[in-house]
Amino acid sequence: MVLLVVGFPLVPALPGMFWTEVATEILILGLFAMSFNLIYGYMGQISFGHAAFFGLGAYGTAILFRELSGGTGAITMGQFFVALSVGPPVAALGALVVGFFCVRLTGIYFAILTLAFGELLFYVVFSWYTFTGGDDGIQRLLPPPFFRDATAYYYLTLVIVFGAAAVMWRITRSPFGYVLRNMRENQLRTRFLGIDVRRYMLVNFVIAGAFAGMAGALWGPFTRSVGPLLLGWQESGIAVFMTLIGGAGYFAGPAIGSIIYTFLQAYVTGFTVYWPLTIGTVILLIVLFSPGGLLAVFDAKVGFRLGRTPIAPGETPNGEAETGAAVTAETKAGS
Amino acid sequence: MLLDPGVIFGQLLGGLSRAMILFLLSSGLSLTFGVMNILNFAHATLWLLGGYITFSIFSYFGEFLGENGWVLVLAIVLGTSIMVGVGYLIERFLIRRMYGRELPEQLLLTFALILIIGDLIKLVWGVEDRSIFLPIEPLEMLDTYVNPYYFVIVATGTAVAAGLWWFLQKTRYGMIVRAAVYSRDMVSALGIRIPLIYAGVFALGIGIAAFAAGVFLPLMPMALGVDIDLIIQCFAVVVIGGFGSILGTFVASVIVGVVYSFSILIWPDGALAVVFLIVIAVLIWRPWGLFGTELRY
Repeated sequence: MVLLVVGFPLVPALPGMFWTEVATEILILGLFAMSFNLIYGYMGQISFGHAAFFGLGAYGTAILFRELSGGTGAITMGQFFVALSVGPPVAALGALVVGFFCVRLTGIYFAILTLAFGELLFYVVFSWYTFTGGDDGIQRLLPPPFFRDATAYYYLTLVIVFGAAAVMWRITRSPFGYVLRNMRENQLRTRFLGIDVRRYMLVNFVIAGAFAGMAGALWGPFTRSVGPLLLGWQESGIAVFMTLIGGAGYFAGPAIGSIIYTFLQAYVTGFTVYWPLTIGTVILLIVLFSPGGLLAVFDAKVGFRLGRTPIAPGETPNGEAETGAAVTAETKAGS
Repeated sequence: MLLDPGVIFGQLLGGLSRAMILFLLSSGLSLTFGVMNILNFAHATLWLLGGYITFSIFSYFGEFLGENGWVLVLAIVLGTSIMVGVGYLIERFLIRRMYGRELPEQLLLTFALILIIGDLIKLVWGVEDRSIFLPIEPLEMLDTYVNPYYFVIVATGTAVAAGLWWFLQKTRYGMIVRAAVYSRDMVSALGIRIPLIYAGVFALGIGIAAFAAGVFLPLMPMALGVDIDLIIQCFAVVVIGGFGSILGTFVASVIVGVVYSFSILIWPDGALAVVFLIVIAVLIWRPWGLFGTELRY
């Protein structure tokens, strides 16, 4: 964690714009993946439609951006921040509607329902030409002159993403965060404690959606455009990949995953078009040989704290997590 | 124009043949999930691989035997056999390691397979669409021309459905599979080797998928990315019909295929969205599907 906090502000010092832009992408996608992990790592449900909220946030910002600039691409600083701030509430609203239905289900059904809603929203955005631009998307999202510079935009992203991460960190350490973990371990038992499981799931779903929307809001002005693919299942897959690469059991896991995934992509696509083959093989190896993600490997093999914070307090680095997995395996085999 | 009987008939036939491919894929998907509790995201990608392999065999033999229906039958038989082998190997070396692991990890493994196999297809066959051409005279029916091959497809699909039903209900191995869906431990305790059943069911599912790809080759070009569209629709089918139920899968395939085929007339971009609306409605109203049983899930 210390390494990350110190390292990130120094990136623009590297020669060339390339690394600054890669780092911006790492930050935005990292925030997106961390918001996904609120649902997966903390609440124990896997969502295959999380990009819907990333995309809703991006479109919320982009559409207001378009209206404010009147299609000229010129936008003042104030308008720019208004447009940015509209992303999270739009995404949260979407998450409230989608979540209302999704939290009624768990496991594989939760996964498929989130996927179905994600694809549904994708097709709505894809074919609603008059409002969303359809499959053309929305172009010319030029931030105000000051933020057109990659370094300036990078620092803006840095501040927002670290701020958002701090808020998420606080949430996961709150009583609310502990209820989430409780639900991950045993929903039935959580209900016995008198907790309204669905309500907690919904609140968390909305929170995760809002943070994904924040990431989405930053994405549009960064790439200067938005397109319907931002809501698609591939984008949702990115959050899942990052989280599993880094380690879903750690707060910083998705962020580490984002660093590895984005770097690897920037590097590999430099000399081959077979990026899916590469990332597919990486994921296959991780799933087969280090199911807890890379942070878990560091915990087990190297045994030192690498910016790592186990999600459950008082959890020994590898002991309890493994017992948990074993118990799940037993229950599954028995069912 | 929409109420023209010719148009309705044409869409119905198109929808039914679409239903057949959905059924052939979803039955394998549903069976694998019912027996092994593994949801294979890569099912349609393996279907695509089967299609490309069948295409290559067809072109190879077509060169000296002529490109006709009999060569296609030969290619389908060989292609299906190869894919049964591939399915066995995937179960043996990859899926088998995942039993008892957490659901997201299982999903992720098969997701990785989509990426790997999809890219390998691109590496071997390139990015062009592959289809075969059979000289078939169109048939005039209800003031419209239809490809008689549609009837071949609907007949084949129904035959496989009936065969699968017979296998599961009437044969000894089918009974073992059904018993394994119900209680793996009990079947294992009776001295039946569960790993063998798993490998067999997985290979059977992939075999049916590869067979479907071959049968559809004259109608539907194999192209990169088609597998994703298809797998998502297969999920829709499996959810609507209920996991593990062959009858439910068949009915749901017909619903999805026909609804898709008709909504494409009205909202071309959003035909899939209509399918998802049905999925959402079913998941909320009956999460276990139209023909699934509530108790087990």
